[in-house]
Amino acid sequence: MAEGKNYLNHETTIWSWLTTVDHKRIGLMYLFTISCFFIAGGVAAILMRLELAKAGGDLVAPDVYNVLFTLHGAIMIFLFIVPGIPATLGNFLIPLMIGAKDVAFPKLNLLSYYIYLVGAIMALLAIIPVDWISAWLPEFLTNFLTWLGLSGPADTGWTFYAPYSLETGSSVIWMTGAAFVLGFSSILTGLNFIVTIHKLRAPGMSWDRLPVFIWASYATAVIQTLATPIVGISLLLLIMERVFGVGIFNPDLGGDPVLYQHFFWFYSHPVVYIMVLPAFGVVGEIIPVFSRKPLFGYKAICYATLAIAVFGFIVWAHHMFTSGLSNASAFYFSLATFTVAVPTAVKVFNWVSTMYKGSISFDTPMLYAMGFVFLFMVAGTTGIYLATLAVDVFYHDTYFVVAHFHYTIQGGAVIGLIAGLHFWFPKITGKMYNEVAGKIGWVLVFFGFNLTFLPQFVLGMNGMPRRYYDYPPEFEWLHTLSTIGALINGIGYSFALLNMLYAFIWGKKIAPRNPYKSLSLEWDTQSPPIHENFEETPTVTDYPYAYGVPVKEAV
Amino acid sequence: MSEHVASGPPHVHHMDAKTAYSAAKLGMWLFLATEILLFGGLFAGFAIYRWQYLSEFAHASEHLNWKMGALNTAILIFSSYAVVLGVDAAQHGENKKVKKWMLVTLLCGCGFLVVKFFEYKSKYEHGLFPGTVDHITNIAFNSPEFNAQYKMFFGLYYCMTGLHALHVIIGMGIIFWIYLLAKKNRFSTDYYTPVEVGGLYWHLIDLIWIYLFPLLYLVG
Amino acid sequence: MFRYLPEQASEIAPKIDWINNLITDLSVFFTVAIVGVMIFFAIYYRKKDGVDHETPQIKGSHTLEWIWTVLPTLVCIYIAYYGVIYYQELRYVPDDAMVVNVVGQKWNWSFKYENGKETSNVVYVPVNRRVKFLMESKDVLHSFFIPAMRVKRDLVPGMYTYVSFTPVMTGEYHVFCTEYCGQDHYDMTAKLKVVSQAEYDEWVNYKEDLSAFTPVELGKKLYTGKGCNACHSLNGKKIIGPSFLKAYGREVELESGEKFKSDENYIKNSILAPNSQIVKGYPKNQMPAFEGQLDDTQIGNIIAFIKSLDGSQAIEEEVLPEKSDVDVTKLTPVERGKYIYQNKLCVTCHSLDGSKVIGPSFKGIYGREGELQDGTKYVVDDEYIKSSILKPMSQVVKGYPAAMPPYEGQLNDDDIAGVIEYMKTLK
Repeated sequence: MAEGKNYLNHETTIWSWLTTVDHKRIGLMYLFTISCFFIAGGVAAILMRLELAKAGGDLVAPDVYNVLFTLHGAIMIFLFIVPGIPATLGNFLIPLMIGAKDVAFPKLNLLSYYIYLVGAIMALLAIIPVDWISAWLPEFLTNFLTWLGLSGPADTGWTFYAPYSLETGSSVIWMTGAAFVLGFSSILTGLNFIVTIHKLRAPGMSWDRLPVFIWASYATAVIQTLATPIVGISLLLLIMERVFGVGIFNPDLGGDPVLYQHFFWFYSHPVVYIMVLPAFGVVGEIIPVFSRKPLFGYKAICYATLAIAVFGFIVWAHHMFTSGLSNASAFYFSLATFTVAVPTAVKVFNWVSTMYKGSISFDTPMLYAMGFVFLFMVAGTTGIYLATLAVDVFYHDTYFVVAHFHYTIQGGAVIGLIAGLHFWFPKITGKMYNEVAGKIGWVLVFFGFNLTFLPQFVLGMNGMPRRYYDYPPEFEWLHTLSTIGALINGIGYSFALLNMLYAFIWGKKIAPRNPYKSLSLEWDTQSPPIHENFEETPTVTDYPYAYGVPVKEAV
Repeated sequence: MSEHVASGPPHVHHMDAKTAYSAAKLGMWLFLATEILLFGGLFAGFAIYRWQYLSEFAHASEHLNWKMGALNTAILIFSSYAVVLGVDAAQHGENKKVKKWMLVTLLCGCGFLVVKFFEYKSKYEHGLFPGTVDHITNIAFNSPEFNAQYKMFFGLYYCMTGLHALHVIIGMGIIFWIYLLAKKNRFSTDYYTPVEVGGLYWHLIDLIWIYLFPLLYLVG
Repeated sequence: MFRYLPEQASEIAPKIDWINNLITDLSVFFTVAIVGVMIFFAIYYRKKDGVDHETPQIKGSHTLEWIWTVLPTLVCIYIAYYGVIYYQELRYVPDDAMVVNVVGQKWNWSFKYENGKETSNVVYVPVNRRVKFLMESKDVLHSFFIPAMRVKRDLVPGMYTYVSFTPVMTGEYHVFCTEYCGQDHYDMTAKLKVVSQAEYDEWVNYKEDLSAFTPVELGKKLYTGKGCNACHSLNGKKIIGPSFLKAYGREVELESGEKFKSDENYIKNSILAPNSQIVKGYPKNQMPAFEGQLDDTQIGNIIAFIKSLDGSQAIEEEVLPEKSDVDVTKLTPVERGKYIYQNKLCVTCHSLDGSKVIGPSFKGIYGREGELQDGTKYVVDDEYIKSSILKPMSQVVKGYPAAMPPYEGQLNDDDIAGVIEYMKTLK
């Protein structure tokens, strides 16, 4: 670790961590917490895959399986990947990258963390299988849990579709409540970032000099702030519906279950961009540094980021092409969905062009970034199938959607997060991780991931529906492959995370200020940074990608 | 949220007073946007079913007491006026006046809640309550005229006014906190951010009610 | 490349597959091209010997940005256009389409044809004729999906939805529920059987040819078809309700003490509103009212059937539900148990959702503890289930009527093992 004081050692008590308003420490606390949930969600996924490895029920009962995929979805979405990059790398990097001392509202930042924790605890309560274990519990405890409205683990899937969510076990109230509270935390984080980026940029840091990660975080924050309230109110209405029987989603009372889907996807489609836009930002930071080239088409990438954020709001009902939409609205939502494909393609073209005539080195972050480009190509092109009306009718709610979604969110957002963690690891910890181990981790993750989900595309093409506990025997070999892939993928993630954890705690190799000779601001302070970020406020004179030797006709 | 912007620089002097002021205002405006979207979902739901069940909603609405609603509207509009005077006083550094107007606002908030309480009470006694109401015998819901759509109207009525009342309570908390700051003479011509952003929040509460009142009480 | 779609069994399938395959080809091309270029750059411009070489500061190119904005846009518009056109075709229903009513209910599909014939979990349609499945849900969301036909639509409670297609290949195809609907969502499947028009006509009209049957025969069909046989024997044995043997003209005494001879009116009334005239010594509220479920002709047929049981013919053995073509020995134990549950009329008295019908619900039954009528304690284990099936009267649970017929001689050990396995899954 660098000489002298830094944000990690200037105070060391646990209390100083729990009450910190330092964005860097809050970022690390988030990272620790979401990693725990990543492991929990991963275990649920592995159990599910093991059950599906062979046809027939062999590991768990059908209702347990239903709980597993609900937990996997709800934990991974609400507790892991929505806070994912924004709350960890975003918290850590946004002030550093724009040359600020902290976010605009540091206390609010800490408050969002604790609101997140409250939501997490509510979600954990909803997981307790009260009905199943009541025989082994002391009676008062069972009574207390029942009194809280807990019955068994929520089993609705992470989408909480009415009317099933209105009639199944009452724990679903706690799960939706948790999602509501977590949404509130997300709103406050987004709001904080928007104000920070608007108001706290260092002298000379104009909008056209912002790193693309900041652009991505800004677009993400806008979505967090503007889309989350809608899911908040729909989850609140779902709770009201269950508690008071209001009736607006309940067909028995004249309500409309499809309305719930509209409300839900109005948030939950944009939320996909909350997950993946920051990953775009991470990749946009990594590729120029390891290519020693300016980011190709910086402005185009920034505009594309904003375009995706805006278009993301007007395409939600493409999740509902088979739900009873009128033809006219189905046409509109199909066409609108294609508008998202274009800016996404533009980004990919620009990333690859950045490497042209570069001086490319293959450090672990770069490998993840290049892997990301491939995975996201698959994710993006399979998205085209699902945007195409007649074809989506076939693929809707099959394994094709499952695979597409995981290529986007795991191949996109999670790989982006892991890439970013490797890239900024020296800055965050002041240490260097073992490069060889990092690369082995990458191989396992990349290979395992593709082995898990490529067969699922084929399953979907064969018509295998999702959320099935059992399936016709002709699908078996693909499921077996997928399960093997999932195990390798799980080992890969464990390997990569343990490698970093080991280096953080026991690592000997000290990171210099700027190990990659990057030009962006966060490298312009010691590693790890001091509590106040910079010794003195930096002044910015150029955008952060001016690598290489100037040429005349540059745009 | 205004607490966090206003109680001064937290762990480092990470921005100057002018930036802090404009950051707080931007933050509050964004927060208000999220609040409007939150209620927007309810308004959208109400609009859809109002359109679908036109006459049922109109009839159900007749069971609301528009006079009480109007009284509450007047109370909230007056409270907003009080807040404006409070902000003006803060900008001139007159802490005593700030205290006075915050107290008036608080009283208005209490008045609003009291009226609301009596409205809810009377609805409950008439059995106009969503959900399982089997234990109430003289309820109008049992008559064939009171079908599911009536329940839905009252369900939405309780959700919308209930969420709004919750905001009134939170708003009163913020106003009370401003009152305490004024008591400590914290405001001056250079520093009045909490009054300003707290006031913005209170205006929003007022504004939402101004939409709720005609929508729920006067649709018939 | 990558052609994995199921057989093209409907008229629209080749069109949808065409656009699907076009997307596949374009996707593979662009992915290979872009990733290929990336890998080429990575290798060709790699940093050599650990030393950075000089790189040009190329910041971008307007021309390229335009090209790769416009080009994907055009491709997208082209694909979107055909997606919309074929979707329209998918949703179009000609007036002469054959209508099949579909009801989705946790976790069963039932189908009703134009002539009133009903089937569950299997549906027959004639080949080369446009069909429209008009669908409604009785509980939660479901979704009706036939991969081979490329159709799918959600069933939304409170509204009718439909799918429509023209099958062009005879054969048997999967039908899946694709909207998660709770515990046995995965098991909510059915078979679509596409047959020739002639076969279809024969099949669909098979039971409809009423003139071929006498009223007595029709009444007998109703006796098994509507589940009367669960409670009313034909051999004089008392199961839950009175036996049908010599039921016509029999002297009955009601709970009220009223006595009269059973006649057509009494039988009819007992079918439509059973609880109004309970025979002394029999439990109340056991028989469902058939008001609205049977028409006058059907009631007439049942009466004719009961009249025929005057003891003149040899007393028949218990009439069991019609044999089906299912070979239970080929099923897994759990499937076999479920089959027996549905076909041996367990379903009449034992619910799966925890509600009390006549007997205790099967939900979570395995391992349950409680008290019998005689006060002894019991635990539901293999032994208990077995003896409850074979000799139900020996151990009736407290609070339940002694109403179950003994299945001794009707189920073999494998059947019972299947039922036990099935019960274990009902948590």
